[in-house]
Amino acid sequence: MAEHAIGHAAPAGRPGMRFRLDGWGTAAVVALAWVALVAISAINRPDFVSHQTVLAITFTMSIVGVLAVGQALVGVSGGFLDLSQPTSLILTALVASRLLALGLDLVLAILVTLSVGAAWGLLNALIIVYGKLNPVIVTLATNFIGLAALFLLFAIAEAPIDSAFRAFGRSSFLGLPNIWWPMVALVLVVGFLLPRTRYGRHAIAVGGNRFAAQARGISLRATRFAIFIASGVCAAIAGLLFAASSGPFTPASGTVYLLPVIAASILAGVSLGGGRGNIWLILLSVGFLSTVPTALVFFGLTSDWQAIFQGAILIVAVAIDGYREKSVAR
Amino acid sequence: MEGQTRSPFRSLAVAAAATTVLGAGYATDAAAQDKFKLGMAVGGNPCCEWMKAQGDVARAIAEQRGWDYIELSNNDDAATALKNAGIFIQEGADAVIQFNGQPSANPALAQRFAPANIPVVTYDIAQPGFYFVGIDNLAAGLAGGEALGNIIKEKWNCEPDLVISAEGAAAGIVNEWRTGGMRDGLKKVCPDIPAEKWVSFESQGQATVGLPAARDLLAAHPDAKKMAVVGLNDGGVLAAINAAEQLGRADEIIGWGQDGAFITGDNVNPHLAGSVFYFLEGYAVYAIRDVIDAIAAGNPPPMKDTAGDPASRVEPCPVSAEEAAKVPDMPERVKLLLEAPPGTTAYELFCPNK
Repeated sequence: MAEHAIGHAAPAGRPGMRFRLDGWGTAAVVALAWVALVAISAINRPDFVSHQTVLAITFTMSIVGVLAVGQALVGVSGGFLDLSQPTSLILTALVASRLLALGLDLVLAILVTLSVGAAWGLLNALIIVYGKLNPVIVTLATNFIGLAALFLLFAIAEAPIDSAFRAFGRSSFLGLPNIWWPMVALVLVVGFLLPRTRYGRHAIAVGGNRFAAQARGISLRATRFAIFIASGVCAAIAGLLFAASSGPFTPASGTVYLLPVIAASILAGVSLGGGRGNIWLILLSVGFLSTVPTALVFFGLTSDWQAIFQGAILIVAVAIDGYREKSVAR
Repeated sequence: MEGQTRSPFRSLAVAAAATTVLGAGYATDAAAQDKFKLGMAVGGNPCCEWMKAQGDVARAIAEQRGWDYIELSNNDDAATALKNAGIFIQEGADAVIQFNGQPSANPALAQRFAPANIPVVTYDIAQPGFYFVGIDNLAAGLAGGEALGNIIKEKWNCEPDLVISAEGAAAGIVNEWRTGGMRDGLKKVCPDIPAEKWVSFESQGQATVGLPAARDLLAAHPDAKKMAVVGLNDGGVLAAINAAEQLGRADEIIGWGQDGAFITGDNVNPHLAGSVFYFLEGYAVYAIRDVIDAIAAGNPPPMKDTAGDPASRVEPCPVSAEEAAKVPDMPERVKLLLEAPPGTTAYELFCPNK
């Protein structure tokens, strides 16, 4: 798990021990909050505990979870945030939809879509690395530019409604949405590989202390490229799941994901300062955040309340992150 | 002079090009100053392809007339609409057409245009002092609701488990007319549906944006099987249909939309039983034929500023999915409309239920 690698990133062994406790502390808090939310909702309305509720929550989790993995990778590596995800999500969804509408083979369409996502990440990395610019500002700018380009390209798009691709997006496996399983697989695989591969350890080390990492011979450039390309590929996977499961979308359809994705990443313990975070905890944080809007409906609250709660949760998560940072500093 | 903006993102992308064109416009000779200048404020909501098409048709007709044309986007934002009014005044527009999706801003817009003596045509949302061109939204809502009611009566004997309203609160009174009108139209056919069967969610008029809220709403009514959906537009209704598909409950969901945005083409959702066409892309034909031409000729028509007594009325065209299959999709409709004799409306060309 990431905590092992976080130990590598830490300048000394004892703080690494404290990080580990911090990580599990976050997991415990989020898990408790989730259990409490489910319990209160079930007491309020016993039919909250139903297969329909599980389906609603897991559908919501799917795309947010995949994007949160990309966001967490950028965060762990000290890149802070990738604010271009709304554009990369819709760009790749558009590519997939258009290619399938043209009759391209599904596997080929998926490969091209993933390549477009990687290219988007590469573009971000090129600007950040060679322009020596702040990743947050760069991704904010590329998001605006990308959205503007998307508006010039199309107004509304949708994957062919009677295609196997759409049938996959609407169907379930073992009682859970088909699109949920790739998200779970991605979280588990990335969470496993991050502290166990060279690039993963480098990313955590760079995020923890870039100067120390460079002193150890770790290339900041190569790490930035790897992380942003990985984030782009995550966005492409999310774009594929989005195109498969959603109806007609517009260039701006991706903007609603940014807030829950950032909140999920921070709630999963990914430090805004870099160097810390457990990818596996994304399953908990995304699960909790995706349960909130569904529970609100069972309490009879309108969807307007969802944004209020999500914003409040984000503030709490950032506050927790700040507290963790101070704890580490002490 | 010719400038154009569409949305905050689009405006960023085209800023350089627009600046160049604007510059060229200022450099034109004095004769150009005498040309009639039409301003067009498009809605600028990224939800809908027709918002862009409204500008395209207006531009094409203005060019046919040899007028100058200024196009700005209201960006679906009241403050932007107000700012655009100032630009039209500054640019010396002789008349302005607007689609303003934020009706609350209309009185303030009227206060700006009136002292400048610029006549304004407003689409679909009435404002005292503005020529009203558009649909009778309430009539369109009632027509769609009755059509869906007839299906429910035949299929479920007027006993649905749930009637879902896909609201779009930002559209204000238009949402009340259309969505509320559909509910009222449905009640005309099926008056005894119990109050607890009527539920709503906020769709924002967009299929993907409204999808999570629709999913949660359906989850909160796990036993509902026979579900009818009404809404502000096709996009909002599709949000509920797509949610039912995701939750494995699409077998017995039927929607009837408004605006006809997703009822044509080869990608129509089979659960969208019909919609009400307004042929929104072609509104400029009515506005220019019945109002702007007269203003350009120096004979402004008498002010008609209410939906009940409009300067030009757009007829609603309720169609089933089968009937809609014979209607060309929007890009083709725009092409055919511009090729038709001047003054021909999209309703005359395309409505199968004239």
